Amino acid sequence: MPRFCLLLLLLCAQRVLAAEDREAFNHPLPDLSAGQQVQFFEGRTLMHQSWIVAPSQDTQHDGLGPLYNQLACSSCHPKNGRGRTPDRRDERLQSALLRLSLPGPAGAAPRPHPAYGEQLNEQGIPGVPGEGSVFIDWQMQSLSLDDGQRLTLRRPRLRIVALAYGPLQGALTSLRVGPTLIGMGLLDAVSDETLHAMAAEPKPDGVRGRVNQLRGEDGQLRLGRFGLKANAPNLRQQIANAMLGDLGISSSLHPQQNCRPAQRACRAAPTGGEPELSEAQLDALTRYLALLQVPPARAATPATRHGAQLFMRLGCALCHRPQLRSGAQALAPQLAGQDFAPYSDLLLHDMGESLADHRPDYEAGGRDWRTAPLWGIGRIKAINEHSQFLHDGRARDLQEAILWHGGEAQTAQRRYRALSAQDREALLDFLRSL
Amino acid sequence: MSAPLCHDRRRLLQAFGGAALAAVAPPRAQAQTPDNTLNVLTAYPDEVVTRFVAAFGAAYPQYRLNMVWRMPHEALPYLQAPDQNGIDVYWSASPRTFAQIKAAQGWQVLPETLRSLPPRIGGCQLSDPQGYFVATEMAAYGFALNRARLRQRQLQAPSDWPELCDARYAGLIAMPDPARVGFAPVMLDIVLQAYGWQRGWALWQEIAGNAQLIGRGGSFVSDSVGTQGEAAVGLSIDFFVASAMANGADLDFIYPRHSGVNPGQVAVTASTPHREAALAFVGFLLSETGQALLLHPDLRKLPVRPSVYRQAPRGSFNPYLAAQAGGLDYDSTRTQARLGLLAALCEPCLSQPHAPLQALWRRIHAGEARGLKLAAARRELCRMPIDEAQAAELAPREYARRLEAQSESAPRAIEAQWSAFAAAQREQVARLLSAAGA
Repeated sequence: MPRFCLLLLLLCAQRVLAAEDREAFNHPLPDLSAGQQVQFFEGRTLMHQSWIVAPSQDTQHDGLGPLYNQLACSSCHPKNGRGRTPDRRDERLQSALLRLSLPGPAGAAPRPHPAYGEQLNEQGIPGVPGEGSVFIDWQMQSLSLDDGQRLTLRRPRLRIVALAYGPLQGALTSLRVGPTLIGMGLLDAVSDETLHAMAAEPKPDGVRGRVNQLRGEDGQLRLGRFGLKANAPNLRQQIANAMLGDLGISSSLHPQQNCRPAQRACRAAPTGGEPELSEAQLDALTRYLALLQVPPARAATPATRHGAQLFMRLGCALCHRPQLRSGAQALAPQLAGQDFAPYSDLLLHDMGESLADHRPDYEAGGRDWRTAPLWGIGRIKAINEHSQFLHDGRARDLQEAILWHGGEAQTAQRRYRALSAQDREALLDFLRSL
Repeated sequence: MSAPLCHDRRRLLQAFGGAALAAVAPPRAQAQTPDNTLNVLTAYPDEVVTRFVAAFGAAYPQYRLNMVWRMPHEALPYLQAPDQNGIDVYWSASPRTFAQIKAAQGWQVLPETLRSLPPRIGGCQLSDPQGYFVATEMAAYGFALNRARLRQRQLQAPSDWPELCDARYAGLIAMPDPARVGFAPVMLDIVLQAYGWQRGWALWQEIAGNAQLIGRGGSFVSDSVGTQGEAAVGLSIDFFVASAMANGADLDFIYPRHSGVNPGQVAVTASTPHREAALAFVGFLLSETGQALLLHPDLRKLPVRPSVYRQAPRGSFNPYLAAQAGGLDYDSTRTQARLGLLAALCEPCLSQPHAPLQALWRRIHAGEARGLKLAAARRELCRMPIDEAQAAELAPREYARRLEAQSESAPRAIEAQWSAFAAAQREQVARLLSAAGA
């Protein structure tokens, strides 16, 4: 069956939801068992929990920091949706962060900066200085579409100030926005074989796609599925990474505090237990995110049907794949053996120089990014009250996001630029329907 | 007995102002952080905090907010530590904490310019008469409704608390567990004030018998009334439900004839060296801009600035108009001291024995439906182990420091007595019911 027919079938089969449902990313899968429902609600509470500076009587939720970015998971993933980067030059990062590392051997994990680690933690608990502050100056550039329409794009330029632990000399930086969290259980259940098969599939237009192979300290090789560069093999690991990196909460997967050797006050600060996040809490968060329902696409219209055809014809679907199948191993029985439509292949693609952060991460190079899933993308504006897209929020709408595509996506992007205004709008309508 | 309070007062006075203590107190936290940083202690959820941090940052980019999060029951000892742990501002919905720190001289008087908003609404004192703290928002109590489920059961929406005792509501009410959920003791107290200690507890016993209890850290009342649950009526503070509704939940919310307000307040610590920044933050919370943020669908708190209601969505509840019409009659300060005791009393009397209580009420309702006279069993089941005078005597002595939702490591001796009382009471009720053929 041709791909666009399959896509149309998927669209037609989906239920219609009210456009105003701002909780669309918060609903559980239907028909949870009683036990799953309990875990879902426990995980939801943890997702919104503001973590507490240790020591505290609330021993379940203490251990914030000593260095951290925000108080709660939901700070960077509001309503399980997308964070944003500041539009104003005097505005602080709230739901975005800055990754750091030093150049290291090819194919290896990022080499932490000796003074700051892998992430700039802007906040510190009382008595522990935050590491610094990041501000963004937007550099504007203009371009024209083939029909002559002129547009302006913006590119972030970082201004890092008030560094508390010395200069950041030689550091590689990467600005990241908190991504949408729906459908993580299905992505977790995509098998290694499926990832390898997709990578091996011949594709037109210079599109390739690679699996990020993560060699752990134990020497074991795992395939990346999560993170903007597919640098985490599974949902549980991704959550543990974020708990430590963003909140300073240790877990069985990251038992050490996030303090560098020279950060004396950080190392001397009290902890909230060893580890601070219990196995039960890590389980609850994992189940919660795994059991979140992906909201259905909006009802198809003639314009969105046409847009879906264009999506296929332009080659967008070569990477933003409308159909994946989960494997037999899954975090919940409902997630196993399912056909689903993430509009992603979870593979790394060279996205060109314009989007490059020049910060390698295992086998992901400085120009590589994992294909971002597009499910739910049309709901971001209503749920998160902005329309910023791409890893650093530089795109102010979906069209800008398309126009930033380069590298393996260059051909598709050129085809988009050559479309008539009506066809461009149809394609955007289709994306807004997801 | 006031010994604990006197002791606290000495500690606080030493901590806040004692010159002799200054030499031994640890260096202020901010000494190591940029001087434009304002440390704000709060228990507001992330949805509230992030929105206000962003908006304050836009209005006052010269200051940086460092939010320190603690539950209200931990705020008191935290603010009693030397130098008040470096906290400049306390911002939370915990009137008892504000009152206790005020008693220990832990706040600064706010300037008159920040005290221009209404100090009272209905029976509730919103702001401190001496100007040590002011209200920044309010929340009121009422019923979340699933009208479709009510229709299915051919039930009218209740207009006041006694109607919830109707046996037809059995299993259809979601009730926050007063021993565990922070906002619930005020809700209990609203009914106790409105109907008196004896009748009020009788109502709660019977309502609890009809209800499923919602604890902390799991599902919400709005889940139970919404698509995730089976309840038709949820007893709740309004913003949880109003926010769910504003975000698309097919629910309704009504305020019963007897309701009340719980204010969120703000104060500046006595020890802050950042008075200017602290007052800027307080001013922002009270400003038209800051107050309008409360109307956001994710927050839906009630502004204290009356003019902001002009911006509220059509049909929004206006507590000032409701108070003028005689609603919101709960006096939040008159019985404030007993809230901790109420939470403690609920544990052995309502929460822990909830399942057997439900069973007894089912028997009573079923028996009465068959025409049995069960007044003696009812009377027995509604008795509480202490009366209002004993509660008034006991609360400041034993429960002055226990805030709502605070769990304690072990029950006190008196709570063991209450537990024994409740167990004996249930046995007696069971005997009475059996004797009556119920």
